[in-house]
Amino acid sequence: MADEMSTVLKYINSLLQDANIPAAIPERLKDIDGVQTIDNALRNLRHSIRIIGDGDLAEKLSSTGYLMGTIKSLQATLRNLIWQTKAISAGNFSNRVEFLGEFSSAFNGMVKKLENTISEVNEAKALFELFFETIPDATLIIAYEDFKIFNCNHAFEKLMGSAKASLIGKSLSELKFFTDNSQAEFESSVKYFEKPESISLKLSLLGYPTYYGLFSSAIININDEKYILSVIKNITELKNLEDQLRKSEEIHRLLADNANDVIWIMDLTGKFTYISPSVEKLRGFTVEEVMTQSKEELLCPDSLALMEDGLKRAIFSIENNLPFEVFRGDIEQPCKDGTTIWTDLTVSAIFDKEEQFLGMLGVTRDITERKAMEDEIRRITELDHLTQLYNRLKIDKTIKQEIARSGRSHKPFAIILFDIDNFKRVNDTFGHNVGDEVLQDVGEILRTSIRKIDTAGRWGGEEFMLVLPESDANAAVVLAEKIRIKLREHTFAEVGQLTASFGIAAFTGELSAVELVARADGAMYQAKNSGKDQVATYLAAAKQPG
Amino acid sequence: MENKRQYKFSWELLGNIAEGRPNMGNMTRVEVYRLMQYTFRDVMELAVGTKLTDQIFYDAGKLAGKEFYLHFLQQVTDLTDFINQLQALLQELGIGILRVEQLDMEKGEMILTVSEDLDCSGLPESGTEICTYDEGFISSLLESFTGIPFKVKEVDCWCTGDRTCRFHAKAEK
Repeated sequence: MADEMSTVLKYINSLLQDANIPAAIPERLKDIDGVQTIDNALRNLRHSIRIIGDGDLAEKLSSTGYLMGTIKSLQATLRNLIWQTKAISAGNFSNRVEFLGEFSSAFNGMVKKLENTISEVNEAKALFELFFETIPDATLIIAYEDFKIFNCNHAFEKLMGSAKASLIGKSLSELKFFTDNSQAEFESSVKYFEKPESISLKLSLLGYPTYYGLFSSAIININDEKYILSVIKNITELKNLEDQLRKSEEIHRLLADNANDVIWIMDLTGKFTYISPSVEKLRGFTVEEVMTQSKEELLCPDSLALMEDGLKRAIFSIENNLPFEVFRGDIEQPCKDGTTIWTDLTVSAIFDKEEQFLGMLGVTRDITERKAMEDEIRRITELDHLTQLYNRLKIDKTIKQEIARSGRSHKPFAIILFDIDNFKRVNDTFGHNVGDEVLQDVGEILRTSIRKIDTAGRWGGEEFMLVLPESDANAAVVLAEKIRIKLREHTFAEVGQLTASFGIAAFTGELSAVELVARADGAMYQAKNSGKDQVATYLAAAKQPG
Repeated sequence: MENKRQYKFSWELLGNIAEGRPNMGNMTRVEVYRLMQYTFRDVMELAVGTKLTDQIFYDAGKLAGKEFYLHFLQQVTDLTDFINQLQALLQELGIGILRVEQLDMEKGEMILTVSEDLDCSGLPESGTEICTYDEGFISSLLESFTGIPFKVKEVDCWCTGDRTCRFHAKAEK
């Protein structure tokens, strides 16, 4: 009996513990009362636990009893969790797991988190869609490979004159969106650069004679596929204005480039921003060379001083919002061949529509001929026709200039006034023509006797005046003597020998030109009265040896 | 015939509990509920037999389900919302823990479980499913919500040795 009990217990233990059990109850245990029932119950339990452990919840568990009931309850719980999970997957987050201890709070927490996350994602998506749809510029997303429209906004629908539904899935070439060249340009801009650049392209759109769009694009990934997001800004009006401006600029550039005058633009730092090519014809330097020239290379010293002064005034006007004073002046500029050229310069300011200063516009015109003519006119007005020495007008002017210069430099200067002795007799005896020849000879003697800085002129009749810068009375006496001897030794045609009387006056700080000349005149008459053919100096008033 | 009925149900028959039980309140013990049900069953079985007793309880459950739907549940159109609302209500009223195991509305089939059921949880094993009242109750709730009659059968019960009551519901087309 004990053996039999032991065998039964071993068998039951095997059913409870072992992985492999006999397919059916052993024959020797079949007839023991109750063993068959236990065998059935345990085999059902083993089966039920195994299939639920394997995740199979579909099988209907038919046995009953406390343990089977508990397993069925577990099966019911797991089935309910599956149902809840399916409901959550379908977007219903209202399900809650109750009475499953920590699992309930963990599961419900996960569902809540998932609900919040999905809600946030949906909100973000809704916000993006709102932005996307309300962007005022046409916006579209196209497939990277074939340019088929994946999505577009309301502005794009309006631009195309078609509803989104009829646009999605169609390629841009199918819609004939671009002009022929634009498609290739767009393709290269988005495909051959890591970050696509903004590009303006001409589009072929119904209802628009001309349409230029500025494409700002980015490569984006949607579900691991590459797409191109492009925002298209209508810049047709801007482009047309640009065209007009370009044409206008071309015309102006053409005019500037082909004009004889040199047209240039300079900023307030004195730097050229534009020089017309005609500068080469004017000065021999190319535009590039002129651009790099220093101000000393650009202008001769006097003109540079004039120009710097003008520039200073221009800067002051601009910085203080004062009206820009147009600058005009004659400017001397060095040429490449070493000569200089005189130009007439006009500088005015250029401003944009908002009254912002853009630069100084200069027009430089060659005035060499005019300058030569002016010189000739000046020369004619300053010369004595007979002797080709300066006339009284010029001598007067020179004396005044020297007075001014002496006042600045405190250096002396002197004048010599002389008169040909007995000249009336020459005219009376030999006639005016011979007299004129005498005067011409005197002129020539003077020209060959004076320094470059000295000025010789005919004061009137047979009187001559010399202005000697940086010379005192003594130096003037030396020169006067030299001339007196030259004259006396000169043989005048038909007339023979002649003499002259000299008066010298040195400038002192308080004298006017008239007073100075009067002193020289007085000295000269003193020389005359003392026997002629001599030099007399004012103040000293001494008779010089003949 | 109708006019002669004495016990025709109406919600008013449940009375004004707040007024009637100001101190005792709206709660009683599960034993009291079960005492009434199982004494009814005893007397009724003796009077009309087991099968008819079960049928009477099924029909009574149906009537209760209909009235319960009308007076306790808010009108919703989504099935999940309906189930959630019902779960919360059954739990709050101490009737049981309702869970859905399977749902196939195209086939009109549903498997529901009720744990800690008011009618049977903790009862001795009798080998038969006892929750006929629940069957009728659930069937009527589903019909009220869907507009389609449902036949509900309890397939597992505490009284058959299970730990939860499982009901198979099928739409009657």
